[in-house]
Amino acid sequence: MLLALREVIRAKARFALLSGAVGLLVFLIVFQQALFGGLITSFIGAVENQDAPILVFNDQARSNVEGSFLLPAQAEAISRVDGVADSRLIGQNTFTVATASAPEDAVLFGYTLGELGEPRTLRDGRLPLGPNEAVASAADADKGFDIGDTIEILGDDGPTVTIVGLGEDLRWSVAPTLFVSYETFEAAQAAVNPDATVVLPSLVAVRPADGVDIDTLTDTIDAQVDGVEALTNAEAVAQNPGVQGVSSSITIILALAFVVVILVVGFFFLILTVQKAKPLTLLRAIGSPSSYLVRNLIVQIAVVMTAGIVIGVGSALLVAAVSPTGDVPIEVEVGSVITTVVALFVLAMIGGAVSIRRVLRIDPIRATADSGRTL
Amino acid sequence: MTALVLDGVRKVYPSGDDEIVAVHTADLAVGDDEILALVGPSGSGKTTLLSIAGGLLAPTAGAVRVGSTDISGFNQKQLTGFRASSVGFVFQAVNLVPFLTARENLLVVAEMTGQPKGPARRRADQLLDELGLTHRTKNLPAQLSGGERQRVAIGRALMNEPGLVLFDEPTSALDTSLGEQVMGLIRDEVKGRGTAAVIVTHDTRMTEFADRTVSIIDGYLAA
Repeated sequence: MLLALREVIRAKARFALLSGAVGLLVFLIVFQQALFGGLITSFIGAVENQDAPILVFNDQARSNVEGSFLLPAQAEAISRVDGVADSRLIGQNTFTVATASAPEDAVLFGYTLGELGEPRTLRDGRLPLGPNEAVASAADADKGFDIGDTIEILGDDGPTVTIVGLGEDLRWSVAPTLFVSYETFEAAQAAVNPDATVVLPSLVAVRPADGVDIDTLTDTIDAQVDGVEALTNAEAVAQNPGVQGVSSSITIILALAFVVVILVVGFFFLILTVQKAKPLTLLRAIGSPSSYLVRNLIVQIAVVMTAGIVIGVGSALLVAAVSPTGDVPIEVEVGSVITTVVALFVLAMIGGAVSIRRVLRIDPIRATADSGRTL
Repeated sequence: MTALVLDGVRKVYPSGDDEIVAVHTADLAVGDDEILALVGPSGSGKTTLLSIAGGLLAPTAGAVRVGSTDISGFNQKQLTGFRASSVGFVFQAVNLVPFLTARENLLVVAEMTGQPKGPARRRADQLLDELGLTHRTKNLPAQLSGGERQRVAIGRALMNEPGLVLFDEPTSALDTSLGEQVMGLIRDEVKGRGTAAVIVTHDTRMTEFADRTVSIIDGYLAA
């Protein structure tokens, strides 16, 4: 690869500038992914990281937990569907709570302790064992939701809970979130709405019987119970209205960044190829196969992309590491970064395709026709 | 044995409903260690004939044999391989890759044909030494004089140990004195190796360095 590497060495500034530009774009892509990853997790972590494989919504709720409630008859009907091994009520609502420092809005998820709907993993502490205990998200520990902190749900004789455990990524709608017993949730509802005669669950959590396909069971529940929509955990996360809206915006922003990478790399190497048309023609004339020139071009693209990716990913990791932890955590996911790097390499090669095509179309006879300065 | 045989070679370019004959039926033979000067005015067809001899252009009709290889029926890929292995070229205009040093301009010939690096380096150094460029091996073309650049081009043309070297107006960008020096060098290098050469030139003063001169006018060869 004498040709490729010598040109890079002899035109350091030119290639360094391109690598820097690519690095900046890679930084933007990786850092935005990390930001959006944290934002999405803060939106739906509480549902994503609870252990019920199926969640049943009111079919008018459009997969929105806040807009869903189920009647006792529906909950009862769900429990009798063939293939349902267990079903439990889940209550969800946002309440104003009093922490040690100040009043705060917090989301309560009420579930049957020890049964479906509890956080899958804890970082510290333990799961609630009684009505006066709660698990919070570790991200809110320093806001008065740490283990041992006492939280009072404000209202007419609202319940008080003590944090006994912290889980990773258990937030809902970027707000402090507490997993409590269903009875505590009912008490909280009654405290803010004392005239209500009944507290309705938001969702029903379902576990399929052994050997029952999860997708088949959601279809069966939808078919057998009027007015409900059963979703797998993954579907409930993906179809959440907030997530869908944010994901669409993210996809457009990232797609534009990827397109810019293609254009930047494509234009740079096209200009470079046009500028060195004469030496490339000379090499073709003296017997260089097109494949040799194309290989050298690909090596140069790979060099630029590798440098750009090292700069971009390195900068993103550095910034993510030193950024203060705010309401939205910055989550750099290794899998996402690897996918991005592979995609960028592929897209850069696509960007270089015009240059490759130009190299393949060089007519060596032009070496005898070109006039000008003697090199 | 002959280094080059053109047998009834004809080159025609289509031009709308008509055709332009660049080379009429041409017969030419160049001996193993012969230096042939091909002279003629601009547009006479001398560069076209040179290009056909070097496998850069396929003739419309006729046969081309270089050494023992008949290249008349070669496809583009075969011609590319043939040019890399069997012919040396020195062109009129662009002869060197601007971002490679003098030595690297020779080594790239070996790399693109997959030759081992060690022998290639030794051969490049030897050629540059013979051409009086030992002190210029690490210089880029832009740092060399016109005569030095042509000498590097000669070295590059000899790098693949060709049986035939083709020169297209090698002195056109040089003054008379430098042109004569370069022609003398070409003669020494070619004769020293027993290699055949065809030198296209419109400068008849340079023909004295050739063993034989052939004229071409309006596509017709004349001895």
